[in-house]
Amino acid sequence: MCVGLSAKVVSVKDGVAMIDASGAKREISAELLDDLEPGDYVMVHAGCAIAKITDDDKSESEKLSKEHLS
Amino acid sequence: MSSSELREYLQNYSGPEIRIMEVCGTHTHEIFRQGIRNFLSPKINLISGPGCPVCVTPVGYIDEAIYLALEKNVTITSFGDLVRVPGSNGSLQKARAQGGKVKVVYSPLDAEKYAKDHPEEQVVFLSVGFETTTPSDVIAVKNAIRDGIDNFAILTANKTMPGAYEAMASSTDAYLYPGHVHAITGTKVCEDLKERGVSGVIAGFTGEELLTALAITVRKFSEGEPFFVNAYPRVVTAEGSPAAVALVDKFTQPCDAEWRGIGVIPASGVELREEYAAYDARKKFNIPAQEGVYKTACRCGEVLQGKIKPTDCPLYGKACNPDHPVGACMVSDEGACSAFYMYGGNNL
Amino acid sequence: MNDCITLAHGSGGRKTNELISELFKKHLGNAYFTADDAAVLPRPEGRIAMSTDGFIVSPWKYPGGNIGRLAVCGTVNDLACMGAKPLYLTCSYVIEEGLPISDLEEIAAAMGETAREAGVYIVAGDTKVAGKGQVDKIFITTAGIGVIEDGVETSGKLAQPGDAIIVTGDVGRHGTAILLARDEYGIEADVTSDCAPLGQAVEKALEVCPEMHVIRDATRGGVGTVLYEITEQANVGIRVNREDIPVAEEVKGVTGLLGLEPLYLACEGRMVMMCPKDKADAVVEALSGCKYTKGAKIIGEVTQDNVGKVVMATEVGGMTYLPQPGNELLPRIC
Repeated sequence: MCVGLSAKVVSVKDGVAMIDASGAKREISAELLDDLEPGDYVMVHAGCAIAKITDDDKSESEKLSKEHLS
Repeated sequence: MSSSELREYLQNYSGPEIRIMEVCGTHTHEIFRQGIRNFLSPKINLISGPGCPVCVTPVGYIDEAIYLALEKNVTITSFGDLVRVPGSNGSLQKARAQGGKVKVVYSPLDAEKYAKDHPEEQVVFLSVGFETTTPSDVIAVKNAIRDGIDNFAILTANKTMPGAYEAMASSTDAYLYPGHVHAITGTKVCEDLKERGVSGVIAGFTGEELLTALAITVRKFSEGEPFFVNAYPRVVTAEGSPAAVALVDKFTQPCDAEWRGIGVIPASGVELREEYAAYDARKKFNIPAQEGVYKTACRCGEVLQGKIKPTDCPLYGKACNPDHPVGACMVSDEGACSAFYMYGGNNL
Repeated sequence: MNDCITLAHGSGGRKTNELISELFKKHLGNAYFTADDAAVLPRPEGRIAMSTDGFIVSPWKYPGGNIGRLAVCGTVNDLACMGAKPLYLTCSYVIEEGLPISDLEEIAAAMGETAREAGVYIVAGDTKVAGKGQVDKIFITTAGIGVIEDGVETSGKLAQPGDAIIVTGDVGRHGTAILLARDEYGIEADVTSDCAPLGQAVEKALEVCPEMHVIRDATRGGVGTVLYEITEQANVGIRVNREDIPVAEEVKGVTGLLGLEPLYLACEGRMVMMCPKDKADAVVEALSGCKYTKGAKIIGEVTQDNVGKVVMATEVGGMTYLPQPGNELLPRIC
């Protein structure tokens, strides 16, 4: 299952990150993202941070619809 | 646009008729959960393609897992929805009732940790999933090597998407590409497909993101040229995750793979390389080849390809329902038939 | 006393009496608590409601409560659902040999405290001890009697098209708290069980709306299961707005990570009420003034169409069915 929920990185140590998704905290692997820092937002899949998130979905949608739908 | 403007846009679309295939189980699930199908213009036809990893896992694979649980006394660790999938003769849930040890885990990394904490048990993780999940499976094997444990292995049925994109291209006018697969692989494969006339848009997973991606898809389609748009740029970059790709490549190699309901797609599977054979459950336990017996009246293959609707299958809602799934698409919450059944199809 | 329960504590002899006089009486004792074979009670005026429920929960202790509090709340709330003021409870324990006495004391203390809070008397009890492995620590069964005010009649079959549907607070808390307490998925979150006695809240709601049609305790199957039960029982449809369903942020986080539907997670201190629409605001206001129902909210209405279905208006303006309750709850991960 791909979770559309973004998670905030609380801490990173030895390739393991503590993340916080709306108050749900869990340790995940940070191995795929070597420059992860506390405060970053990530997408988590099957216990791994797979990508950093650079924007929220609302403002992304606004930009995209301006570019492609107007 | 706001979500209500996007909704109106999709409701009022009057361009050429279009078939859009979502190739991600979570997209299927979310589209139904948000009731999106019920307000789309009749010109927009959504097809729930083969993107639910649990659904396309073949019967023989479940038989292998049950063999390990019941014959080899192995502790099976798995994602939750896989334990309900029927094999030739029952599911892992049934195997558990018969005394097999089946444990649901959140992540393959947790399965490895469990093995480390239980050296007296042989632990196998059921490794299913696409490009998004495979890196976690590989890291679990890597951790097992790091921890020096010899009681952990994975049973691979991992798959890759590009072969399926090619195989299903004639069934759709455009793909709704799975956002998290491309967070790993990047966008090159989509660009290449566009060059060959196959269109698609990468979508995220929130209601807002799905509406945006669908609106862009129908808009581009009505312009008439093959297209590709990354409508999930906050997560998907052009290069994806080179670290994940390199890691997966180090540990695994492509192999032919059977997709339940579709058949064998060449080089669309993933297996551990020979040097990691000790972590490959198939080799470690010498699992005999499992033929896998399918129920013949099931028409899941045609559902996955959008040739028929779930309700056209003679088993749908009768012999085959979420409590007693017969076919591929009814087994997971993310399967086309299951989502159709649970969320009321297009009836509202 | 020994520091853990042995088979002798269930023999009916000296050890059993010791347990009753030193532990149960201390925490559960009241004027009606009997040492005889049955409690003798004054006859209440009016119709009585009677209910029983068994409690098994692993682990027996979790943030926000334990099985003792749960066993009192469960039966008290079942009685309240019929519009009854709960009066008397009995409780029966099956205890696993080896349970530390301090654990039993903690459970009995919670029962006593919750009973006093709910205004009910625990009047009779029974203790059995089962061999190691025959039960999981402790099973408790409670039964209760309450009295129903004249003119009040609630039942799932009385739901009427047009009725407003109210939940008395945010959903899925108890189920989430238990899931986290089991620590199977490595997730931590600040979620406490919603387990609470709701007799007082029901009383207040009935004061402003004696013609209330349905009150149903959303326990095991969560609010979603209750909604489907009512559609069957009353032969109606139900429409709810997903955005109006209160879910705590942390519960959203946990269910989001695991792919679970909060509407199907257990509650132990939440009720679903259905009443004529023109009384709904007054009911919500009355509930808002009670300790455990401050988060009461209107979430939808009973409909004539879509009989047997729960239809959900979604965040993006779509309509969909709430999936039927069914399978074992499994995280939908992959």
